[in-house]
Amino acid sequence: MSPAIFEKGMVFFLSILTLLVSSLLLIILATVFAKGFPALHSSFLIESSQDFGRAGGIFYQLVGTIILMTGAVLISLPVALGSVIYQTQYLKSATGKEICRQSAQVLNATPTILFGLVGYLFFGVYLETGVSWVTGALILAVMILPTLQVSIREAIEALPDQYQDTGMALGLSQWSQIKTIIIPQCYYGIITGVFLGLARAAGETAAIMFAATTFSGIRLPESFSDPVPTLQTHMLVLTQEAANPEALAQAWGAGLVLLSLVFFLTVMAWILRSRLKMEAEL
Amino acid sequence: MKNESHGMRWIFAGLNLIFLCCAGGLFFLLIFESYPIFKLHGFDFWLGQDWWVGETYGALPMLYGSTLVTALACFLVLPLALAVAIFTSEFLTSTRRRYMKAVLELLAGVPGIVYGLLGVSFLSLWIKDVFGLLDGNTLATASCLLAIMILPTVLTLSEDAMRAVPAEYRDNALALGLSKWQTATAVVVPQALPGIMGAVLLGIGRAMGETIAVMLVVGSLDRIPDPWFNIFASAQTIPSKLGREAAEAIGEETHWSALMALGLALFTMVLLINFIGNRFLKRRNFS
Repeated sequence: MSPAIFEKGMVFFLSILTLLVSSLLLIILATVFAKGFPALHSSFLIESSQDFGRAGGIFYQLVGTIILMTGAVLISLPVALGSVIYQTQYLKSATGKEICRQSAQVLNATPTILFGLVGYLFFGVYLETGVSWVTGALILAVMILPTLQVSIREAIEALPDQYQDTGMALGLSQWSQIKTIIIPQCYYGIITGVFLGLARAAGETAAIMFAATTFSGIRLPESFSDPVPTLQTHMLVLTQEAANPEALAQAWGAGLVLLSLVFFLTVMAWILRSRLKMEAEL
Repeated sequence: MKNESHGMRWIFAGLNLIFLCCAGGLFFLLIFESYPIFKLHGFDFWLGQDWWVGETYGALPMLYGSTLVTALACFLVLPLALAVAIFTSEFLTSTRRRYMKAVLELLAGVPGIVYGLLGVSFLSLWIKDVFGLLDGNTLATASCLLAIMILPTVLTLSEDAMRAVPAEYRDNALALGLSKWQTATAVVVPQALPGIMGAVLLGIGRAMGETIAVMLVVGSLDRIPDPWFNIFASAQTIPSKLGREAAEAIGEETHWSALMALGLALFTMVLLINFIGNRFLKRRNFS
């Protein structure tokens, strides 16, 4: 076999593999859709679950997931924005910056189950928030901190130097520069970060399964110390009843909703990033 | 005006401190909380093979399970990721490459519980049928599932590493009469090797900490398979153990402490792997 033919064959083989990998997304989507679609009925999203999740809808689970992810972003955003502004605008020492960078990497790499364990211990036991949606939101807030930081930092670092030079030449204080130049010019980074953070929080199960969520008994939290049902926990419990086809069908239905939610948030983040970035550069 | 500016500085510094405390506190609490079990069992905790709640705690089966599952997943993912990364980086047009990157980013965002559901409904049944096993929840099932889960991470980072090889290298190789295939395999891949290593290590780090999907398909038996290389046996990994027992260990000091010690081991391993991986990714020797 001549080398040219061998190479053509190899390239062809690689192209097939690439096609296979890029269709993996389609395969997963198609499977979840095909399996989850039968469970969807007209009121699946607005009905409460019945018979231990084997029938009915997922309204309260969806609400629980939304409460947790929104709470997480609301808590995480000020910390992420403040810490990135401090690191880029005020912090001058190279060692300090390196420590912050390494800490962000540590948070990003930490297995999510550990956020659940340690977060439950710190928030739930030491700060006495118990097994509740507040604990869950706090845990997820710590977990998505690096995601938000990366988006905000990218936007701030992409800002041309002239903007800040001009601000300084006009005699603006550091805080005025942040208020009038950096935040207005970089808000696309903040919005992108928020959506990516929401997506990451929505897809997370391990960190909240024993610290913030419940499978049955509670619908909507009535106080700060109530846990919430979430889509993720709902799926986890139903999946473990693999022998029961009704439970599994409901799990697929919930999975379809969860996957759509996560993809919607991610794609929104991309669209906003490209559109708002263009506006900011005009 | 001046005072306001100064006040804001301290607010930002405070927010940064909160962030640093999150990372530092995690490590500190893991060490602090796992101390009781070391006081009780000493180093034997790591070598013990039995885990009976309330009596004795041994971490070896979980350590072994985690290592084996991760190594196997890495072994499965490496050839595929490398092959696809070469094709994406060297043979695709830039529009298609961007499309590929978007697909990979979406894939990386698929929630672990969805992979878990796919694993329970398909993968574990296939493995049970194909290999004629009594139970499809095995180390091999978990490894296959993990390999699929970390594929986007490893792939996209290796592809970045290959793209980072300067265009002159390719131009020179092509000018010397090498074919595109030879350029890719003999010039680009060796140059991008540190980056690829880094990508694989970051993938391993992610695989090691994955909880939900593994928990559902690994079988959750706290024992070392017999014989030790039998990958078609049920076993247990650290995150899966933590996920299974955390809820019942709340309030039970020794049990909780044992789980925290497992968490500490996991945290240390993942951080170490990640640290080395990032060192590889940062290494740029194109001058």
